[in-house]
Amino acid sequence: MQPPSEHVHWLFATGVLLLGLCLLAEAVVGTEVWRRRAWRAYLWPGLAFTLGVFMWPVMTFYTNSTIHMLAHGAWAEVLMIAGAVELALVRGKLHSPAWRLTMAAAFLVSGSAFLVHEQNVWFFQRSSLLHHLLGWTLVAAAVFPLARSVRPRSQAAAAGFALTFVVLAVFLYCDRDVAPVFGHLSPLAGPPHR
Amino acid sequence: MRHALLIAAFAALALPAQAFAHATLERTSPAFEQRLSTSPRIVTLRFDQYIEGLPHAIRLYSAHGELPVPRIRTDGRALIASVPKLRRGGYTIRWHALSGDGHVVSGVFTFGVRAKAPAPTEAFGASGPTRTEDVVRWLYFLSLALVVGGLGFRLLVARRRLPDRFFALTGVGVFATLNVGIAAFLLRAEDALQLPFGRLLYGDLSPIARTRFGTAFVAMTLGFSAVAALLFLAWLTDRDVFLWPAFLIGLCFVSGLSLSGHSAAAAGSSWKSALADWAHLAAACLWIGGLVQLVVVVWPLLPELRRPALVAFSRLATVCVGVLLLAGVYLAILRLPRLSDLWTTGYGQILLVKIALVALAFAWGGLHKLRAVPVVARDGTVPRLRASLAGESMIGMIVLLVAAFLVNAKPPA
Repeated sequence: MQPPSEHVHWLFATGVLLLGLCLLAEAVVGTEVWRRRAWRAYLWPGLAFTLGVFMWPVMTFYTNSTIHMLAHGAWAEVLMIAGAVELALVRGKLHSPAWRLTMAAAFLVSGSAFLVHEQNVWFFQRSSLLHHLLGWTLVAAAVFPLARSVRPRSQAAAAGFALTFVVLAVFLYCDRDVAPVFGHLSPLAGPPHR
Repeated sequence: MRHALLIAAFAALALPAQAFAHATLERTSPAFEQRLSTSPRIVTLRFDQYIEGLPHAIRLYSAHGELPVPRIRTDGRALIASVPKLRRGGYTIRWHALSGDGHVVSGVFTFGVRAKAPAPTEAFGASGPTRTEDVVRWLYFLSLALVVGGLGFRLLVARRRLPDRFFALTGVGVFATLNVGIAAFLLRAEDALQLPFGRLLYGDLSPIARTRFGTAFVAMTLGFSAVAALLFLAWLTDRDVFLWPAFLIGLCFVSGLSLSGHSAAAAGSSWKSALADWAHLAAACLWIGGLVQLVVVVWPLLPELRRPALVAFSRLATVCVGVLLLAGVYLAILRLPRLSDLWTTGYGQILLVKIALVALAFAWGGLHKLRAVPVVARDGTVPRLRASLAGESMIGMIVLLVAAFLVNAKPPA
């Protein structure tokens, strides 16, 4: 018994949105204020790591095609590794600022996975558009973690980094949306069944 | 132009979710691996969206070859084929259809008529494990040894904090376990589906995921993702409390291979043979993984730990060797009831090579225990012992390679 794929997308979209809102809050109030409570520093990296762990069941249970399985596996690993590195930086286990490049690499890998696993053109259908948007957003937004690794105090980099997650969450919510507000237009889809 | 793009973007967003991707097979009649009491008149495949038929969209195979399918038609989301009257036996259906997104989706499933259906991995056309699969299984064994043996060494032998190299080695092991597991699953699926790579990308893997091998893959992937998380938390927080559950989960999920291997699948198998297979593999992982930690972590980085670690590991290795021998002999007798099977069958010949290598590894280990351990306990060191321990672990890795060939080989009936 598997939940419908849109529920899983919404669940992960919620996780990504929370992550983005935490980062946005930090960008707005400043790192110093945000970290007055020590646990807050662990919040968004912890969320990223947890999302990575929860992506593994998605990979193993949604096996209706090889390409989706591989893409979900890539996202699981990338989320876990990127979250783990950020947690280790916060904890002081890792010291070199070069480790911050891991997040930029994670963006690139995740974006590439979106683009490779979407074989159709941009306007073929809603999910194609969103997959292309997700992919290119991640690839382009890799510049923000890159900038954060060079200029950790840059407000623009922090805000851009945070907003990227918020935008990604919105795309993910729309990706599998079956709500009636979007209508039911395609002859390919047949009669609505949900 | 900008307005046109905006309208197109909104229109694309408005497209319904049912058309979101390629067609997914929702159910079939007969069902996957269903045993039927009479021959079916039709075979139906129902998808989650409209599909288009292709020439030879459904192919039917008995154990002896392809059977004619007189008529194939599409009915909205369904693909329906009339089939001739089928005799008793197992049958394979290979299907492909043009999905709404323009991709050809493909798959395979099996059913039986008054007989047990073959597993999809044994569908008509599937050739069984290849040399690549042997190598992948070997890498899987090595990864398991790094994780389970590493954690076992840390908790049962060293019993103190180890440098970060321990975590690096074990972390590499756990991620390799996850990735090599995916590779093994895809190779098995490729063989069952018999598709070129381009079409395998859109191949339906769900029948493979429902096999014994698929269930083991799912369980081990979930188990080792938990091990990865716990291992990381142990490193991050410097708390041993995360290591014990990681070790126990790792040890427990080593049995995934046993549950999908000969011991569970072969005729005459029982919970005792599965348990013996698990004990055999777990002992091998503890032994070889522990040796690697001794050579790579303790010897170069912790000179003060060499003596106690070698003495404690020697005790653990003795227990492992005992378990390996007992379980190995039991399994060999179970799979090769006649002694002559050892040299007259391919399985037996591979087992002979393995026994020879294991004997060499035991002799090497015995030499360490009887000669080196007392000297180290007395003087603190033995010249070139690290190289000798590395040699023993290399032999152990070669044993795992032969074991990988053995697991993929078929024991005589």
